[in-house]
Amino acid sequence: MRIKTNIITPEERKKAFAIPKKPEVIERQRLPVRYHVEDYDVEDRPRRFLQAFAAILKHSSYRLALDHYIRSTAKCARCATSCQIYQATGDPKDIPCYRSELLLNVYRRHFTLGGMLKGRLLVTGHLTDEMIEEMADSFWNCTACRRCALECPTGIDHGLITHLGRYILSEIGIAPRALVVSTREQLEGASGNTSAIPVPALLDTLEFLSEDMLEDKRVEIKFPIDVEGADYVFFPAVSDFLMEAETLMGIAAVFTATGDSWTIGTGYFDGINYGLFYSDRMLERIVKKVDAETRRLNGKNVLIGECGHASRSAKCFLPTYCGYKDAFPVINIIEYTHRVWKEGRLKLDPNVVTEKVAYHDPCNLARQRWIIEQPRELLKAFCPNYIEMTPNGDDNICCGGGGGTVSIDEIRPYRTTVGGKLKADQIRACGCEVLVAPCANCKKQLRELVEDQGIDCEVVGLHDLIYKAIIFDDSLKIPVEKKHDTLKEV
Amino acid sequence: MDALLDFARGPFFRFSFAIMALGLLRVIVLDLLGAYDAYRKAGEKDLPWGLIISRSLQWFIPINRVFKYRPIFSSISILFHVGLLLVPVFLFAHVHLWKQAIGFGWFTLSKEWADWLTILTIASGIALFIGRVFTRSSSFLSRFQDYLWPLLLLVPFISGYVCANLTISPKLYQLLMLTHVLSAELIFILMPFTKIAHCVLMPLSQFVSNLAWKFPADTDDAICTTLNKKGAPV
Ligand code: HEM
Ligand code: SF4
Ligand code: SF4
Repeated sequence: MRIKTNIITPEERKKAFAIPKKPEVIERQRLPVRYHVEDYDVEDRPRRFLQAFAAILKHSSYRLALDHYIRSTAKCARCATSCQIYQATGDPKDIPCYRSELLLNVYRRHFTLGGMLKGRLLVTGHLTDEMIEEMADSFWNCTACRRCALECPTGIDHGLITHLGRYILSEIGIAPRALVVSTREQLEGASGNTSAIPVPALLDTLEFLSEDMLEDKRVEIKFPIDVEGADYVFFPAVSDFLMEAETLMGIAAVFTATGDSWTIGTGYFDGINYGLFYSDRMLERIVKKVDAETRRLNGKNVLIGECGHASRSAKCFLPTYCGYKDAFPVINIIEYTHRVWKEGRLKLDPNVVTEKVAYHDPCNLARQRWIIEQPRELLKAFCPNYIEMTPNGDDNICCGGGGGTVSIDEIRPYRTTVGGKLKADQIRACGCEVLVAPCANCKKQLRELVEDQGIDCEVVGLHDLIYKAIIFDDSLKIPVEKKHDTLKEV
Repeated sequence: MDALLDFARGPFFRFSFAIMALGLLRVIVLDLLGAYDAYRKAGEKDLPWGLIISRSLQWFIPINRVFKYRPIFSSISILFHVGLLLVPVFLFAHVHLWKQAIGFGWFTLSKEWADWLTILTIASGIALFIGRVFTRSSSFLSRFQDYLWPLLLLVPFISGYVCANLTISPKLYQLLMLTHVLSAELIFILMPFTKIAHCVLMPLSQFVSNLAWKFPADTDDAICTTLNKKGAPV
């Protein structure tokens, strides 16, 4: 089935594209884009952009794709059919191929022999301030979901170009403040995580959740802290500790049921990696923190929570930056839960979740066909009213908050009127009452989306439902009287 | 005129064909060298071969393309390509020329098939051009070469068809034959330097796009040094 959406109305357009910044800020920063940036050096922008581009090309392998793309792009406009942004705005400047061409043009003109000769001869085409402004806008309109790459016969991965474009821009100081500030706290701040949660607060939260679960399930469900030699060292999106308690409870419940050893390290407990969204340099630094903490605890595997980008950045880049074959194996919590369920070590009650449940594929889990079937098998096992939302799997539609955009609160109107419009129509067409999105980014975006679009649907994590349906072995249950004792002790 | 036609059919044909063959070989070799370099530097080298192969095949097995999005455009484009590839290579007259030149030939299309395919190619080329002009998304993206190609490709097809099927004066025949040969040679020469390089690059596309995500290890330090940012705050 093909989901089609209508182009937004002029009023919606006005709302979505309103710039929430003061005119004097725009003037000072010379950047008429919707997201906030920190003040940066505005002088000589084109020269510095090219300098950063050159440095990145020198030390990376981006040339391969850029060369291939400039030689083969067919300009067939197929990609337009699959981009949720273009489908919503109808603005040709949002066609993926146009977006990528912004950067490919700079590459062609300044970094290929033919382009340099032609540019010199005709004295045209060199990079200008306006072109930088357009890129700064365009590359953050895209959610880097890579759905369009599937439609491109010449295999152009616009997500890669968006990624590179943002990276270069960030090197001259143009990156959303929300992401930069969080990353700074994570790498250089006192708390060492993007949500600035101090360790005592973390421990408090976890203890509180354990009490809650004891009350609720009559089972002692712990979050093991700093256990050395654990099989799994757990890194959720750190914001889960503040916003997704039920997901964490579900995960802890699964481990309690299986008895496998896992732990949360107080040295570092954040899976979030905004480097994937704007800077390979940050990507590398953050991934190395995951490695260091796992090493400190002498853990065996890195376990990432319900979060698409956190999983992808660890899965794909921990081996890259931390020793390839010697790097810790990375698995996502869905893979773990699916495996123990298959092994018969996890029992789920099919009578608890009776609503119409559908599954949303997070782009970072599904686009490369990494995790698609596992969550579905699990859900079908205990949700009798499971329904499919199409298109799905590796052709899924992005929630509209991918690529880090969900963390930029000031662009919420854009995300829920433009970015998530196609998704909203898909959710409506599917008619689910509960939408499962095992990703911190997707969850936040989808909740804002259903709220702003007036859709009656609850957005939850996969383990939120598993928590509801999990059946514990009787041996784990604490008798009622004893339960009170334990509670008093605490 | 005769001398010119001989020149076009002889030395100039060999020249343009060589440019095409060497030029296309060059882009493949550059691509492979780039890929080798990227692979060598990559911090992690496990390429998702299953994905690469299945996604590459997707574009060579036309069914998927037709039924997903843009079915009309896709069908026309496929017809166009079938004609573009089959007619020049398997036309009896062309194979005959090759046979004289290199001593052997190969399977040829029957006259009827060749005629129909030629007409189909011409019609689909015109349709692609019209589609490009009138579809807003396509025309917005199009560069000069994107409009030029469908039209330029039709010149040898139309002139060839007229020469082969219509009774025209010998003078006109010669003129059209010259047009036929020279336009085909122009196409040969332009192929490696324009988007038509896709005819050899496409099989590598999925491979390149996947390999491109295999970043080299430890670039943070190197880039900081180059950009003089060592120790700078995040
Ligand atoms: C194995 C060889 C080839 C393959 C697999 C191939 C594939 C493609 C694909 C996938 C497209 C994008 C449009 C679409 O989706 O249909 C395309 C466009 C195009 N191809 Fe090819 N191609 C091949 C050879 C050639 C050759 C030899 C020529 C000409 C000499 C050619 C001329 C064109 C032109 C002109 C377009 C643009 C059509 C338009 O205006 O939309 N192709 N090709
Ligand atoms: S990556 Fe996603 S948002 Fe970006 S251009 Fe492609 S389809 Fe559109
Ligand atoms: S599908 Fe690929 S070649 Fe076609 S217009 Fe889009 S990016 Fe360009």
